[in-house]
Amino acid sequence: MSIELRVLTKVFGDVLAVDDLSAVAQPGEVTALLGPNGAGKTTTLRMLLGLVAPSSGTATFDGKRYDELTDPIRQVGAVLEASGYHPGRTGLDHLRILATASRLPHDAPERVLAETGLAADANRRVGGFSLGMRQRLGIAAAMLGDPKSLVLDEPTNGLDPPGVRWLRGYVRGLADEGRTVLLSSHALSEVELIADHVLVMARGRLLRSSSLAALREEAGVGSMVRTPDPDRLSAALDAAGHTHRHTDEGLAVDATPEQVGELAALHRIVLHGLEGTADLEKAFFRLTQEPHPPVERPLSAEGVLS
Amino acid sequence: MKALLDAELLKMRSTRATALLVLATLVLAVLTVATTVPGVIEENAWISLDDPDLLANVVGNGFGAPLVLMTLLGVLAFTQEFRYGTITSTYLGEPRRTRVLVAKGLSLALASIVITIMTLAVSVACGIALIRSQDGNVTVTGQFWQTVGAGFVVMAAYGVVGVAVGALVPNQIAAVVGVLIWMLAVEQMVIPLFPEVGRWMPFAAASSLMQVGSSYGDTLLSVAMGGLVLLGYTAVTVVLALIVTPKRDVL
Repeated sequence: MSIELRVLTKVFGDVLAVDDLSAVAQPGEVTALLGPNGAGKTTTLRMLLGLVAPSSGTATFDGKRYDELTDPIRQVGAVLEASGYHPGRTGLDHLRILATASRLPHDAPERVLAETGLAADANRRVGGFSLGMRQRLGIAAAMLGDPKSLVLDEPTNGLDPPGVRWLRGYVRGLADEGRTVLLSSHALSEVELIADHVLVMARGRLLRSSSLAALREEAGVGSMVRTPDPDRLSAALDAAGHTHRHTDEGLAVDATPEQVGELAALHRIVLHGLEGTADLEKAFFRLTQEPHPPVERPLSAEGVLS
Repeated sequence: MKALLDAELLKMRSTRATALLVLATLVLAVLTVATTVPGVIEENAWISLDDPDLLANVVGNGFGAPLVLMTLLGVLAFTQEFRYGTITSTYLGEPRRTRVLVAKGLSLALASIVITIMTLAVSVACGIALIRSQDGNVTVTGQFWQTVGAGFVVMAAYGVVGVAVGALVPNQIAAVVGVLIWMLAVEQMVIPLFPEVGRWMPFAAASSLMQVGSSYGDTLLSVAMGGLVLLGYTAVTVVLALIVTPKRDVL
């Protein structure tokens, strides 16, 4: 099942939340919608799921709008936010309600609770759950119908490092089974470890759609250097025209490790460490934070005349 | 639709709030019954202990708090979901939202049958006991049965209107406070003080339908007209909810 967004646009009042967005997420791949807060990621996912009406354009699963799917819960699983629970209800009751409404097998809630490691907490009220447990419950709810596609909005929010690792493995496994996974994230470091394809978004617009490998290649290379003599190295880098900055880990240089190593040898500067860094983070910031030139609007007839 | 209805009933049963609200309401119903029977707590000018319609009147007045309960349960059906964000998973399970609205309305109508039976059990039992304790006239008249029948209709209507109000006013605090101010303050003041306006209000219409008009000095509409007015309010709120619900963005 492939997910397709076609010239999707959403205007709230006079705010253009999503602007002319077109993209595809393929089965068997993890596609990440990546962008800073306020980029329009959540609005995009909510339009895809029929919760927000697009101002124009379409968002479809194998050509069908969400509300046109038969038994949507069996086709698409969605995790939207960690707050979608009544705190007084038990986790099991929460899932039972969803399973009942969608006529799923009676054992579906127990199955997904076990899959997400919540079996022991099934009869606790959700109000007493930690953020990480709620996020797992959200994923459990999404997996109730054993769906072919999965849509996750910032799924790692609130998860602790073991939780993030678990989620990564779980999502990867789902994609490897041939399911389509579309997830959003504002953190490139997360996406780097999980996504096959990246859609970079900012201010409602799609800035880049490419494989993670292509993005990495384009990001170029940098180096991280540790030296007992940072001032001299700094001066040598300046002289050679390599920009750099001091970080907690050492000197971050916009040059290959080979270039830095040769330069250090030339100036007889001792190095304690030298490694290459593909600066994907920087590429991401460059994409999302640089002001983009305004789109040229065709002059109106009046404008031409005057 | 049956699946959606089952899910709605499960939502109601799986929180403690529902049971607590029902329990509190039954206590209030007993109190209303006690204040209506002359001589128990106070003398009532509008009805005497010898009146053959005393039991009907007592039972009819016992519906005051349960009507507030039904409206609140109706309002909560949607506003709880908006408040806690569960509306998202509800609409993901059934993207055709009017079906969700209808299922919620039906679930409240079903719940109203159960709650009406509980109310009647409590108010009839307490009413008879209290009237006997005052040596009053316990007679089961035709009016009594009309009141009982009307109770089922009015309770269901209030539940459905509550669902529609909740669909229209997603902010739970605004919806609940608004409903309480309307039912406990506005109607309670306007109906007795300005009967020419007040008798067109929902609670006045419900009261005439339930034959408790004498509590308001017989200024209310006829039974048939009261029924029509109540039907009108129900229809208008439901139609508005049906129009608004599919269009609203769920953020």
